[in-house]
Amino acid sequence: MSKKIYKAKVHRIEKVSASSHFIEIKCETPVEIKAGQFISIYCDGLTLRRPFSVYSNNEGRIGVLFKERGKGTKYIKSLKVGDSIDVAGPFGNTFNIENKKALLVGAGIGAAPISYLKSKLDEQGIENFFACGFLNKDEVPNGMKIDMTCTDDGSFGEKGSVLNYLGVLINDYQPEVIYACGPHIVLKKVAELGETYGIETQVAMEKVMACGIGVCRGCVIDIKKDGKIVNATVCKDGPVFKGNEVVWEN
Amino acid sequence: MGKLSVNLNGLELKNPIMTASGTYGYASEYNDFIDVSELGAVVTKAISLYPRAGNKHLRITETKAGMINSIGLENVGIEKFIEVKLPELIENNIDFVMNVAGSTLDEYVKVAKICDDNNIKAIELNVSCPNVKAGCLEFGTDENSLFELVSAVRAVYNGFLIVKLTPNVTSIEKLGIAAQKAGANALSAINTLKGTSIKIDFIKGKFYKTIVQGGYSGIGIKPVAVGAVSRLVKAVDIPVIGMGGIETLDDVLEFFAAGAEAVQIGTANFTHPETAGKLVKELEDFITNNGFKDLNELKRELRA
Repeated sequence: MSKKIYKAKVHRIEKVSASSHFIEIKCETPVEIKAGQFISIYCDGLTLRRPFSVYSNNEGRIGVLFKERGKGTKYIKSLKVGDSIDVAGPFGNTFNIENKKALLVGAGIGAAPISYLKSKLDEQGIENFFACGFLNKDEVPNGMKIDMTCTDDGSFGEKGSVLNYLGVLINDYQPEVIYACGPHIVLKKVAELGETYGIETQVAMEKVMACGIGVCRGCVIDIKKDGKIVNATVCKDGPVFKGNEVVWEN
Repeated sequence: MGKLSVNLNGLELKNPIMTASGTYGYASEYNDFIDVSELGAVVTKAISLYPRAGNKHLRITETKAGMINSIGLENVGIEKFIEVKLPELIENNIDFVMNVAGSTLDEYVKVAKICDDNNIKAIELNVSCPNVKAGCLEFGTDENSLFELVSAVRAVYNGFLIVKLTPNVTSIEKLGIAAQKAGANALSAINTLKGTSIKIDFIKGKFYKTIVQGGYSGIGIKPVAVGAVSRLVKAVDIPVIGMGGIETLDDVLEFFAAGAEAVQIGTANFTHPETAGKLVKELEDFITNNGFKDLNELKRELRA
């Protein structure tokens, strides 16, 4: 599964919630992408490619969810169906999938890779439960299959942060592994709960990147390894880390 | 000898397209995108005597015309390089230059000696990293310190010695002359420019600042680099390897016109990882399609 540059075309681009968009990119040949991996998109005129977790992947059509946050995502949002797009990947490690009852936790745009993971677990018939938090009803992406939705304002599903429900979910559902992606605070909390309940956690991290392949050392985080604190690149050693190996910043 | 070959004052390169230290890891990482063995040479990440963890963790930011990095020379250290990376480079048939960094003169000399003992045929002294507390840039900004450092390295290292210069000085020529006097075989220029980015977000009536201070690289620094190369080639007799913002064949030709004998591709490797390999092919096609005998003729015409 080597990394490549794909001269691809925009197959579909649409708004899927109040602030998120879905882009589907058609490559000439199917690309094998595992859950947790990401692609990077060249944005015209910008030095750094923009990394995106993969949300879907069907017959050479790679889908990602994104929010317009800066110049890169503004460029991607401006693309039209049929436009050329320069995509590289797949990069990074993957969620480690085993036949273990899984609790899936997503928050905001971090729902994307977790949703992709869910599709992989479903394919393999692995029991899972997907809990996901958003700001409000309008932020829930169309078409995402979620078992329990939480909204901060209670406009849809359960009211409040998804974090408030994790303790109960763990007790009721009794997962053997928890997978998570979302803001730092969510991942940190998931890692802590994993420690408390003695459950394995796998979290997908995010960081500004330059190379995407581990050479520039621009996206490192601290992890614990053999009793020492060492650097790990989010792009190559990650983006998925065990919750208990990450040195969590406050 | 191919049409693209370069004799850099004794160091034979199969073509003049090299990759810049810090942007190409230890080379094998790019084999997914191009055949790295087709490049003139890869310059490795800077190697120090001991492994370095580098700086704390807000290390990169994009700017209008490039990026700022503050990596702080994170690397595996010379021992691991020799044990793990060197055999990989040899096995993959990759021509390389090992970039050397240090905090003290003694460290540079020890690393250079190890390189000599292990038959590493070319090294590039990094005396121009703006992102570390001790050493490095301080050798590269003072001609006497640089002369002393290069002389000490020269005394223990018999291979091809390149000195990489910083643009963060009043007169880069003086540093180039000092390196030449001390026995450098070639110069490379330029390393990154010292710079700071302060990104400001204004959210709900409050300012949030993201500050990255470090080395500025990318297309924005090209005019500074071309200027530095032009001045250096007039001041010294040893070859100058040019770098700074190269993305296209036109950029490569610009550096040749300024007097560079070879070039290094840096930040562009991040944007388009195939860049260096593509430039080798484009340079070759340009020479063939336009009836030049070889690279030397092309350079002569560019400089006429």
